Amino acid sequence: MNTFLTIKHIGKTFQPDKEVEVVALRDINLDIERGAFVVLSGPSGSGKTTLLNIIGGLDDATAGEVILDGKLLTGLSEVELSGIRRDHIGFVFQAYNLIPVLTVKENIEYIMKLQGRSQQECDVRCLEVTQKLDIDMLLGKLPNQLSGGQQQRVAVARAVAATPKLILADEPTANLDSKTAESLMNLMQRLNEEEGVTIIFSSHDPLVIAKAKHSIILKDGKVIADERTG
Amino acid sequence: MFFKLAFRNIIAARKRSSVTLFLTSITTALLVFSSAWMDGSHFTMIQNAVEIYPGYIQITEKDFRANPSYDHLIFDASFIETKLAGNDAIANYAARFESFVLFSADEKAVGGMLAGIEPVREKHLSRLFSSLQEGEYLDGDDTNQLYIGSELAKRLQLEVGDEVAFIGNGADYSFAADNLIVKGVFQTGLFDFDASSAFVYKGYFDKIMAAENRATHFIVLPKKPGQAEQLAAAIAADLGGQYQSASWNQTMAALVKAMKLDSFFGYITLGIIFIVIFFVIMIYTLLAVFSRIHEIGILRAIGTTPQQILTQLVLESSMLAFISVVIGGLLGGILAYYFSIYPIVFSGMEEQFKQYGLAASEMPTAFMPLTILRDMTVMFVLSVLSTLYPIFMVNRFKPIEAIHHV
Repeated sequence: MNTFLTIKHIGKTFQPDKEVEVVALRDINLDIERGAFVVLSGPSGSGKTTLLNIIGGLDDATAGEVILDGKLLTGLSEVELSGIRRDHIGFVFQAYNLIPVLTVKENIEYIMKLQGRSQQECDVRCLEVTQKLDIDMLLGKLPNQLSGGQQQRVAVARAVAATPKLILADEPTANLDSKTAESLMNLMQRLNEEEGVTIIFSSHDPLVIAKAKHSIILKDGKVIADERTG
Repeated sequence: MFFKLAFRNIIAARKRSSVTLFLTSITTALLVFSSAWMDGSHFTMIQNAVEIYPGYIQITEKDFRANPSYDHLIFDASFIETKLAGNDAIANYAARFESFVLFSADEKAVGGMLAGIEPVREKHLSRLFSSLQEGEYLDGDDTNQLYIGSELAKRLQLEVGDEVAFIGNGADYSFAADNLIVKGVFQTGLFDFDASSAFVYKGYFDKIMAAENRATHFIVLPKKPGQAEQLAAAIAADLGGQYQSASWNQTMAALVKAMKLDSFFGYITLGIIFIVIFFVIMIYTLLAVFSRIHEIGILRAIGTTPQQILTQLVLESSMLAFISVVIGGLLGGILAYYFSIYPIVFSGMEEQFKQYGLAASEMPTAFMPLTILRDMTVMFVLSVLSTLYPIFMVNRFKPIEAIHHV
């Protein structure tokens, strides 16, 4: 197995105040293959989002290690983590989280510009990705002029355009109707195959979960199932 | 890219940007105007003090200022005159001879200063001519005609055409006395000066006081009054060690000290205003930045470094601050310019003003572009600095904390 992401003994405890402790993740151990299409599922509060945040370096684990493509992420500084997120990880959020003052094209180009790519490179890549996602006619629009499904496609395009090795998508279809959700999942599946990017998404929608080749089920902060189907 | 994002954010958050613009512009305008006001009052004080009578530069015998007696007169006035005539930096100059005498009219006797002046040159050197209240100013061929201060005339109960006797010492310590005819009455507005001073033509004075080719001092008007200090030093070097050439800074040390003290308190007041402004902008920015924590969290999540967030937010505050200080600077500058041409008149405050050496109820502001630029720069730096703390605060959040911040 060509392991791309290793999660070793990850634990996370929140302490809203000194007397109360909430254990969100308990001793999580996972190996994810390069180019995998992985779903994290489980009931609300099972720790899906927390695990995605720790993998993406958005949050610190209380215990354990995250190794991404051979690089230990645990203990890196915020600047180093920013660099890893910029160059290697794409995020798709449940609430889309596009930059409201930038057009679709500018949103998609944002991370590429952070990477220092030329305008010409950005233009070419932007067109390529938006054509794949069928949003190339929306490039000049602002996020508030788009539907939810269109905004989520733009969010996916932003994540993909920067050619990351890993895309983390937290409940990407939660705010979409079932038809749009399925269409988005089909697109993500295609991107996974065509671009070879590893995608990990969280969901509790059975239709969406069914599309994954690697399914991980969490409950009460623990992995209760880790199955590969593809 | 950050520039574009900063600009779009400013436009998108119109209400927030407008409040910041308004606050900073008004504060800049107030700062520019208060500086112009403070400088204007100082310039008015200097102009009043210097131009009414004492002059920008005074030349005396080297010990006269420490010991103002007839033993320390200028005994060769023509030598000084020749030297001054050859100096291109001098706009005008004149000799004076000041003497203290006893005036007597009817049953009144009052001590005061009787000075011999050169009336034609003096027109350009002091405000004696423009302070004429009644009668006429002196001429170059006058004899015993007297030009007297309004308050002194009042104390002696004199009017134009009246006769007054004086008695005093001649330059050779001889007894000197004569009858003088009041030709004109002047009022500078400086009470003490108007209550103790009277003038005659120096040609007449020299004869009656045995003071030919002698003077207590010369006064000099530089072509560039702002360079009085340098010119005084150059004149001193030219005249040699027997004479002293002092600018108004030295001859009116008490006034200079008072102005410095006034400036000191003025700057303390401005400093307090700055501190208040600093914290007002900082608190406002803190609220504005905290309302955007979620957005900043998203930017951080997709790979923007804390340094880049700082750059973007500082760019935003710099752009707003720049526009604000330009608007405020223009507004304050226009006010400063307007009131430098049409001074603010404080009717009925002449008496209070006299305590500060101001002989007028008008107070023009000083319109100085460089000072306006300085104030604009200070406000710009202050505005940008005051946004740094909120930005540092926001950058301390982990991306996920920022995204979930409510």
